[in-house]
Amino acid sequence: MSGMKSINEKAGLLLEAAESGHLEEVSAMETVAGCATTFDPGWEVDPFGGVASLCQPMEADLYGCSDPCWWPAQVPDTMNTYPSWQEGKPSAQHDWRELDPVFPNTNAVFPKK
Amino acid sequence: MHRRVSSLITGGVMVFTMVLGTAIAASAAMSSAAAPAGLAAVRANCSGCHREISPGHFDRISEERKTPEGWAMTIFRMRHLHGVKLTGKEQATIIQYLSDVQGLAPSETAPARFALERRPNVPDLKLPYHLHEMCGRCHSLARVALQRRTAAEWLKLINFHVGQFPTLEYQDGSRDIYWWKIATTQLPGELAKLFPLQSAAWRNWSDHPHPSLAGEWIVHGYTPGRGDYYGTARIRRTARHRYRARYQLHYASGAALEGSSDAILYTGFEWRGTGKLGGKRVHEVYFASTNGMRITGRWFLTDHSEIGGDWVASRATGAPQILAVIPSALKTGTTQRVVVVGIGLHGSVDLGPGTTSKVLQRTPYGLILTARVQTNATPGYRSVRIGPVHRGDLLAVYRHVDRLKVEPSLAIARLGGGTLAPVDAQFHVIGYTDVVGAGGKVIAVRLGAVPVTWSLEPFNAEAARRGDVRFAGTLGQDGRFLPAAGGPDPKRQFSGDNTGDLFVVASHIDGKAAVTGRAHLIVTVQRWINPPIY
Repeated sequence: MSGMKSINEKAGLLLEAAESGHLEEVSAMETVAGCATTFDPGWEVDPFGGVASLCQPMEADLYGCSDPCWWPAQVPDTMNTYPSWQEGKPSAQHDWRELDPVFPNTNAVFPKK
Repeated sequence: MHRRVSSLITGGVMVFTMVLGTAIAASAAMSSAAAPAGLAAVRANCSGCHREISPGHFDRISEERKTPEGWAMTIFRMRHLHGVKLTGKEQATIIQYLSDVQGLAPSETAPARFALERRPNVPDLKLPYHLHEMCGRCHSLARVALQRRTAAEWLKLINFHVGQFPTLEYQDGSRDIYWWKIATTQLPGELAKLFPLQSAAWRNWSDHPHPSLAGEWIVHGYTPGRGDYYGTARIRRTARHRYRARYQLHYASGAALEGSSDAILYTGFEWRGTGKLGGKRVHEVYFASTNGMRITGRWFLTDHSEIGGDWVASRATGAPQILAVIPSALKTGTTQRVVVVGIGLHGSVDLGPGTTSKVLQRTPYGLILTARVQTNATPGYRSVRIGPVHRGDLLAVYRHVDRLKVEPSLAIARLGGGTLAPVDAQFHVIGYTDVVGAGGKVIAVRLGAVPVTWSLEPFNAEAARRGDVRFAGTLGQDGRFLPAAGGPDPKRQFSGDNTGDLFVVASHIDGKAAVTGRAHLIVTVQRWINPPIY
């Protein structure tokens, strides 16, 4: 890192980490840690076929998927289809247990017992 | 790998437009056999938007054909997005009617039945690549292949998708391809050729006299995690489209698997049942053969569709035949109880060279034998003969297990919690022994299930570093993986979810030698949209 000068706080922290031998601790964040149009991972698997580079935790960005209709096959979109899905549940991180599945009649073709 | 996994797990909210247009000859042919109540229900509840162009032919609705599940998804969307008010009875009547007059023929559903049977971890259909790009990135191609439409109607479906899910172009790779141009000019015609509204298969099936399924049946099947089962079923017809069945079944271990179900028959061959089996609540997705002599499919737990079993029922009045031999492999130097499941099994029994057998009991579903295999018997397949009937592919003799195949080779489990049940993953093993055949060629002889112990290992170095084995869940000694709880876990890096990338390892100890096999298990996050067809 000699010859390089940090111009903001984040770069300064990176420089410090490199100089103190802790670069590996920050390099993990260079992986895709959230969905992005650029990298286009799947909902269930990351671009490498595993799960290590999925959103961690998924709940941190869940409403970032439902609001703009991202993953419309897995996450109810509040843009058009299920506008009240997250109503009264302002924090996905804390309220994820209260989020309902949106297809209640999965078994509509079977006789009722 | 990414593409393959995606094909296993796609699913969707993209229910389909309730379609229309000019009526088809096939529906006209079927309509005479359909219940007047069904037509009346469509007229009363749908024609406010879907104009009845001519008697029984509704704008858009009549330009589509679908499975019962497909029509149920359409009605769900009509209720959810367009405010259609239906009672449960009206909905059931409409699904029955549309499935009967605008369903899919047996041969048309065959390639994608796995989706209707909700079989977990089955690779999706292989269709032209761009269909994977255009449709299969969000939901299964089986979902596409289980519909029939005119080209104009396929185009309307695409237009609906773009309007309802505006970001789908980005997700479908529109920065790399001319998505809109392909979607609106190329795709409708191509889909109409692959999955046309009118077909000879449907015309023939529409005219086909569908036999009643009432009668006595002989059943055999396999439940991953539990093993083979067999027995009898009695089916009664209780109404025009309704049946009631009672089951007297046993696992090979001797455990009873009794039960009963009530079923609706759609389209003359699509059996959808609700009942109990072995004390557990189950649904049944079965398909009757065109001649009404076999019913095959899969049953599954009502609250865990990923857990279930294969089902084959053969009419007891059918031609004499051997249907199954349980167990399907006998070890040299042992004496075992063997069940030969079949129809009309009379006469002397011969399990092939190196074996002796004795009939212990004759039952309605076949014979119960005791069989001894000589220590020096030659490993390989045996032809089983009972009187005049024989089968050469149902029984093998072996000295030792040489290989294990863990199935499924790639599986998905999902975390649960709150309002969502976790999605488990059920594994089972198939053992093989190698025998030297003609010309020195080594042949892998399939033995069927063999006893194993189960364990988990990290799939790669990153999974080991993340501690996936410790966090993601537990694997029982019946091969069933139970995922851990969902939600952020403060014990993990970034408070990550309890996802995991794992090997599932099966070990069989034969004497001092251990044989192992393994499969890939991905433990991933929840999904909140779970329609009947993913």
